[in-house]
Amino acid sequence: MKWASLVLSAALLAYPLLLPDPFYLDVGLSFLLVALSASAWNIVGGYAGQVSVGHGMFFGVGAYAPLLVFNLWGAPPVAGVPLGIIISLILAVGVGTPTFRLQGHYFSMATIAVAELIRILVGTWPLVGAAIGLQGPAVGRAWWDLTFRSELPYYYLFLAVLALLLLITQQVERSRFGYYLRAIKSGERAARSLGVPVQRTKLYALMLSAVFTSLAGSLYAIKTGFVDPESGFGLLISVQMVIIAALGGAGTLYGPLVGALVLIPLQTATNDWLGGGGTGLTYILYGGIIVLLARFEPGGLHELWYAVAPKLKRRLQRKERPHAA
Amino acid sequence: MLLEATNISKAFGDFQAVAGADLRVEEGEIVGLIGPNGAGKSTFFNCLAGDLTPTTGRVSFAGAELTHVSAEAHARAGIGRTFQVPATFEDMTVFENVMVGAFLRHSRRDDARDRTLSVLDMTGLQQFADQPARRLGTPGRKRLEIARVLATEPRLMLLDEALAGLTPAEIQQAIALVRAIHASGVTLVIVEHIMEVIMTLAVRVVVFNHGRVIARGKPEEVVRDQAVIEAYLGRRHRADAR
Repeated sequence: MKWASLVLSAALLAYPLLLPDPFYLDVGLSFLLVALSASAWNIVGGYAGQVSVGHGMFFGVGAYAPLLVFNLWGAPPVAGVPLGIIISLILAVGVGTPTFRLQGHYFSMATIAVAELIRILVGTWPLVGAAIGLQGPAVGRAWWDLTFRSELPYYYLFLAVLALLLLITQQVERSRFGYYLRAIKSGERAARSLGVPVQRTKLYALMLSAVFTSLAGSLYAIKTGFVDPESGFGLLISVQMVIIAALGGAGTLYGPLVGALVLIPLQTATNDWLGGGGTGLTYILYGGIIVLLARFEPGGLHELWYAVAPKLKRRLQRKERPHAA
Repeated sequence: MLLEATNISKAFGDFQAVAGADLRVEEGEIVGLIGPNGAGKSTFFNCLAGDLTPTTGRVSFAGAELTHVSAEAHARAGIGRTFQVPATFEDMTVFENVMVGAFLRHSRRDDARDRTLSVLDMTGLQQFADQPARRLGTPGRKRLEIARVLATEPRLMLLDEALAGLTPAEIQQAIALVRAIHASGVTLVIVEHIMEVIMTLAVRVVVFNHGRVIARGKPEEVVRDQAVIEAYLGRRHRADAR
């Protein structure tokens, strides 16, 4: 695992230098953004097993807040990042407090409902641009507007935030909090009987998850300089996080990265082949992945690897033996 | 008095599962809870563990009132319990399962690990430490449940048929483990169907039938009690009674 981390870090650091073409850089940025939001989702959806299908609400709040402070007061978009985090935390407590008393699918359903409600409200609220959305500064007034002509600085900014989240997740995995999350996922009743404060632990997980999902949204908006209800709060945003984490392996440190590594090139390729007319195809792609995961490997690629790797190893060893003899 | 449950009743809709049952447990005792299937033992047991809130009555433990507090607060107060159907955390390893329990009294990872290692040692699970719990068979899981509870450092342990489904050899091992736990200073309440277990372990037995306590006393006295025999075997046939 140490080796994997090193190789991964090196590859991600070197990627824009090895492939400086703007197209590849753009794919790299999509990868980082999607890996970041899916890793944030993973804390509550993966480790704690509380599947949110409405994480778009935190992403959207995070995306709107920087552009809102710019539009209202001409403040640099970065100043809106803490605002996005605070609103996301309030939302997390608002959704989590009543639903985490219950077990099962209530939380999932509540998250879909709240996210859709917010998307519709934002789409009709003139202060936040209604259906048209919000725009950032067209030309950077100073460095603190973070409008770079090249995408390279964004790449490393995204990478830094992703690295921070993975470090925190790794610490969580080793701590009491992380053990409690996995215990809750395995069985709430048994967890309670061992003194795990189930409701509070789930709420903390959702709050931590919301903070980083909001950050992902903010990074997206600062880089793109534009957000509308669909690109901020769209159902596709929420579903993408679930798909990517589940594809790679929910509840594992690198699962969301593996998922993003598979899905982003796949998505880029399908969009490329079919041109702009293929946007609806994303849903079909996601649907196909859900079907395949549910049928063959609910644990995602992570589980698949652990099922296949020992067999591969044995086969390789068997081949080596005649040479040794 | 360590545990005092007074006049506990629990109804599910119209069905009265427990009707005014009492139980007093002194520190250091091993009390057996027996009775035919459906007698209300498990419901009563779940009321003691905080998994169910009794409809009436009160539960106090070491002087603190626990009737209406959550299951996790029961664990914090020092009541540990196992489940009739093992509820081990299947995707976690044996070591990690016990760690969850150990974290209750030790928030630092290193301290929790020390506690976990000593519990694994005591319960003889150390050779399975790195296996996922789902790979264990029933005896292993039952043992793991006991280990997990032990890691929370309980003063009172409630065992719900922890020995059911074991082979005679496994039962002997489990009895030895329960004895060792008792010797380490833990008070025990055991729900059990296997009379051999109750007779060898329990100092005192409480017999349930139809949600009520119908007899209490030493195990060898209780098995000769007319009401207990009737509860298990039915009323004696008239022809025999003559």
